[in-house]
Amino acid sequence: MALGDLEREVMTVLWERYDPLTVREVHQELARERHRDLAYTTVMTVLDRLAKKGVVRQLKEGRAYRYAPAQSREEMTASVMMDALSGTPDQDAALAHFVGQLPPEALRAAIEAAARQDR
Amino acid sequence: MTALLLGALGLTLSLVVPGPLARAHWPGRAPAAAVLLWQAVTLAAVLSALGVVLAAPEELTRAFGSGRPVTAAALIGALAVAAVIVLRLLISLYGVSKRSRARRARHRLLVDLLDRAEQRQELDAGNVRVLQGNLPLAYCVPGREARVVLSDGALRLLDREEIDAVIAHEQTHLRHRHEVVMESFTAFYRAVPRLLRSRAPLDAVHVLLEMVADDAARRRTGSAPLRGALERLAEAVPLAEDVAPETDSRRVRMERLAVPRNPSVALDLLVVAAALALLVLPTVILVVPWLDRALDAWPL
Repeated sequence: MALGDLEREVMTVLWERYDPLTVREVHQELARERHRDLAYTTVMTVLDRLAKKGVVRQLKEGRAYRYAPAQSREEMTASVMMDALSGTPDQDAALAHFVGQLPPEALRAAIEAAARQDR
Repeated sequence: MTALLLGALGLTLSLVVPGPLARAHWPGRAPAAAVLLWQAVTLAAVLSALGVVLAAPEELTRAFGSGRPVTAAALIGALAVAAVIVLRLLISLYGVSKRSRARRARHRLLVDLLDRAEQRQELDAGNVRVLQGNLPLAYCVPGREARVVLSDGALRLLDREEIDAVIAHEQTHLRHRHEVVMESFTAFYRAVPRLLRSRAPLDAVHVLLEMVADDAARRRTGSAPLRGALERLAEAVPLAEDVAPETDSRRVRMERLAVPRNPSVALDLLVVAAALALLVLPTVILVVPWLDRALDAWPL
C-alpha cells in the first residue's frame, strides 16, 4: 500500500475514534475495522510522520505516546476549503479554480450555508 | 536619444498598451497567442527599462562632452543599477514560487488525508480527490504531484458529463503548467514599484488561461457540459456583488462557450509575430547601435 493511502487510513481511524489512541490501539483498529494487516512499526512510523507534519498531536502518557488528530475531519475540511477559496494577490498563483475566488465574507457565508445543509 | 526612445517604448508598454489589450475582444479567439503577447509586452517593458538605465548615463556624459573616464564611470554605475533591477525581479520570482510551492504542498497533504476515496471509484483519473462537504468546489493543486479537487457538493450539483468537462479543464491547467505563467506575472507585479504597476496583465492572463483550459475541455467533451458546469457552480458560489459584468470572468467565459469555437490560424500567427517583433525589433533598432558606441568607452 502506498504511503499516502496508509496515512489516510490512519487518519480515518483517529478521526473516527477521536479519543487519543496508542500505536497499539491504532494498529488493532486498522486490523479489525479496516482489515489492514500492517507491521506495528509501520503504524508507528506513519503516526510519527503525521505528527511531524502537524496534523496529529502526540500526547505523552507515562512511558507511551497517545495520538489524536489536531483537528476534527470537519474542521480540517473547512480549513482546506477556506484555503482553496481565499485569494490574495500574493496567493493568486498557488491554486487554480474552476469558477474563481471569493472575498472573505462571502466565503464564510458560503461555508456556513453548506455546513447547515450538512446537518 | 537611445535612452529617450527606449523610455518612451517602456512607458507605452507598461502604461498605455495594457488597458486596451485587456479590454479587446479578439484575445478570446486566440487565447494562447494572447498570453504570449502579454508575456512579450511585459518582458519588452522590462528590457526597455533596463535599456534606459544602461544608456542614459553614458549618453548624458557624452552629450556634455565629458572625458572618457567620466563616461566609463557612468557606464559602470548604470550596469550596477541594471543589476539591481534584474536581481529584484529574480528575488520576487523566487519568493512567489517558494511560497506557492509551500502552500500547495500543505494543501496537497490535507486533501490526500481528507480524500473520500470510496466516492471516486467512478472517477477514473488517478489524481482526483474528493472533499466531504456541500460547498460546491472544483480546483486544482499544481505541482509535480498535482491534484484535481472536487467536493461532494460539486459532484451532486453536476451530472457525469459536466464532471468530466470540469476535470478535463483542470487537467489542462496542470498539463500545460499554467501555474508557472501565473507565478511569473505575479512575481513581476510584486517587483514593480507601486506607482507604476497595474493588475491588468495579471487579471487578463488569468482569464486567458481559463479560456485555454475551456477550449481543451470542450474539444474533449463539447461546449454544453462545460457551460452547464460553469453556470451551476457560478450560481451556487456567487462572487462579490460589486463585480462589473464586463470584468466578471465567469460571464465572459460562459458567453464565449455559448458560440461555436472559431479559431483563426491567421490571427494566431499575427499575434505570435507581433509578440516576437516586440522583443526583437527594439533590440535590433535601438540597442545594437548604442552598444556599438558604448563599447568604445568601455574601460576594460
